[in-house]
Amino acid sequence: MTANVKTSFFSQAWLVLILAICFGALLAGMQIALGPTIEANKTNETLGRVPELVFGKDRAQELIERKQTVAINPQSVGVEKAGKTLRYSVFETRTDGELAGWVVKTAGQGYADKIEMLIGLDPNIEKITGIFVLDQKETPGLGNKIVTHEWRSQFLAKATDKPLVTVKGKASAANEIDAITGATISSKAVTDTINATVNNLRKPLVDKAKGK
Amino acid sequence: MMNYLVDIFLIAVSAALINNFVLHYFVGICPFVGVSRRIEMAFGMGCAVTFVISIAAFISWAITTFVLVPGAPLSQWIAGFFVPAETAAKVDLTILSYIVYILAISSSVQFVEMYVRKFYPPLYKSFGVYLPLITTNCAILFACLTIMANIVGVDDPADAWDLGRSLVLAIFGGVGFTIAIVIMAGIREELDLCDVPEPFKGAAITMIVAGILALGFMGFTGVDSGLRKALTPKAGNHALIEEGPSSPMGAQITTNHHIG
Amino acid sequence: MAEQPTSLERFIQGILPENPVFRQLLGLCPVLAVTNNMKSAITMAGAVLFVLFCANVIVSLIRNLLKPHLRIVIFTLTIATFVTIADRFLAAYLYQMSKTLGPYIPLIIVNCIIICRCEVCASKQGVITAGADAIGTSIGFGLALSAIAAVREILGTGMFFEIRVLPAAWPDWVVMVLPPGAFLTFGLLIGLVNWYESFRTAKAGRTQGQTT
Repeated sequence: MTANVKTSFFSQAWLVLILAICFGALLAGMQIALGPTIEANKTNETLGRVPELVFGKDRAQELIERKQTVAINPQSVGVEKAGKTLRYSVFETRTDGELAGWVVKTAGQGYADKIEMLIGLDPNIEKITGIFVLDQKETPGLGNKIVTHEWRSQFLAKATDKPLVTVKGKASAANEIDAITGATISSKAVTDTINATVNNLRKPLVDKAKGK
Repeated sequence: MMNYLVDIFLIAVSAALINNFVLHYFVGICPFVGVSRRIEMAFGMGCAVTFVISIAAFISWAITTFVLVPGAPLSQWIAGFFVPAETAAKVDLTILSYIVYILAISSSVQFVEMYVRKFYPPLYKSFGVYLPLITTNCAILFACLTIMANIVGVDDPADAWDLGRSLVLAIFGGVGFTIAIVIMAGIREELDLCDVPEPFKGAAITMIVAGILALGFMGFTGVDSGLRKALTPKAGNHALIEEGPSSPMGAQITTNHHIG
Repeated sequence: MAEQPTSLERFIQGILPENPVFRQLLGLCPVLAVTNNMKSAITMAGAVLFVLFCANVIVSLIRNLLKPHLRIVIFTLTIATFVTIADRFLAAYLYQMSKTLGPYIPLIIVNCIIICRCEVCASKQGVITAGADAIGTSIGFGLALSAIAAVREILGTGMFFEIRVLPAAWPDWVVMVLPPGAFLTFGLLIGLVNWYESFRTAKAGRTQGQTT
């Protein structure tokens, strides 16, 4: 009985092996064919947003039409905080060799889960030139609205000298942001993340700008 | 060290309660509907799933970290025999992840089946056909996929999940599954005595009850960020006390600390 | 050997009478997870169609070589390969959708529908019949997903395929796009289908006279 099972097992195993080899080859071929496209998708997700965040939509469009090259240099900036090193992914943007701005990829705890975003900053970290939400799992219809263009456009040209504050009514002072009705926590999460990130990166990036 | 423990604790709470595998991620629904008639069976199924999920998570973490990712030790060593070292460092076998995981899960289930048949024959008989069916339980593959996403999908290799986090996610995911299925079994035992309309008997009423359960579990949203703030020593940044629908007090307290 | 259903019968059975979701209650994970909106539902149905069709055809081609002990392993290997192909394809050409669907595409591997169809149909019948069965089952699956997604999207966001169909005054029932809404919608629809089936068979019983 055991001998039968053994022989039949091996006589069947050849099919599994042949199939495994065929499928392996198929998958390897697919990896070679599609790998570059997928990598490009991943990097373009962030890189593609950088011109718009640094220059604003209109000027970025203008640069594309004039075929001006925008050099984007991804870097990793470490910040010492409470004994730990926080690493930020920073995109240094230059046109014609001159520093045009920074884009920082950062994340913060939102209402439901982490909110990942890109923050555009001017060369001296004095103004916010735009934000873009990469990933969020906030409540659809409420916290979800942080991705909308109208809400995000509030952050354009906001100064970074004072921390941003969310208000429930109409935003009046220069550092106030109108919170989304019914989604105060998500709105606060975004402003808090921006405040923390700008605070952490102000010195290193200003030093980098001067050092270059 | 403290940070690590806080991390582990929060992963555990998140996997078991806040992002419950059944009621939030919708994995493991088939046994949830099929096996939740009696509490003992449901609890047995929950334990079996937890056991298999831990073994499968361990195997998938090990294979992903040591064989599949670009720059993994084992694949580098083997490829080093055939190609120069720089190319060997870039060998990326992640395309084989799904096949590897499902084969790991099948083997784990086979192993568990043999073990249970040898040492607990009456338990094996009571499981019947449901034990081999654990292979097609989405929850196990989902745990493996989450672990993979936290190893392969992170920008900084230093953030890749280690064995501790992966095992905690798997075990407490299984615990969450057990909690959900046992609650459902308890409710269904009562439902058997109720006057359910004919078209709704069986799966339909189970789904509706599951919806109400999911609504209840939604109350846990935000608990993990609150716990994190409570457990992390004030390293600065900002403190927020959650307001909103999940707060039992409906309090409107917001405190905001900024570094100078 | 009992007479086996023809291609046409397999095709039609898969759509409504033996609908994999509502009648057989198989493959429930994606049914609840990706039916937030129509786009995800249709993409998932398309992916399942691709995997089911390829898997059925391959299994049908090698059906005479299958031995009892290893057939599940062979099914699993085949399905996993095609799911990897579908997943990579989506990541390359529909990157946003791939990120939205997340882990639910690889979860097609353990979707009971596909293994069940391989076991019941493809391992026993010819290529044409297996193909027809795959297409019929996928259409049934797609219909089920669309039904649930339509209800959830219209009631939850007032939109259908991201086009506004309900007046702006409609207060979005946000719970419909969240987990509880998925369970409730699905439960109510199962009840509806069960009621319709019992109504239809009762009518057929009455018109045919006394049938046991």
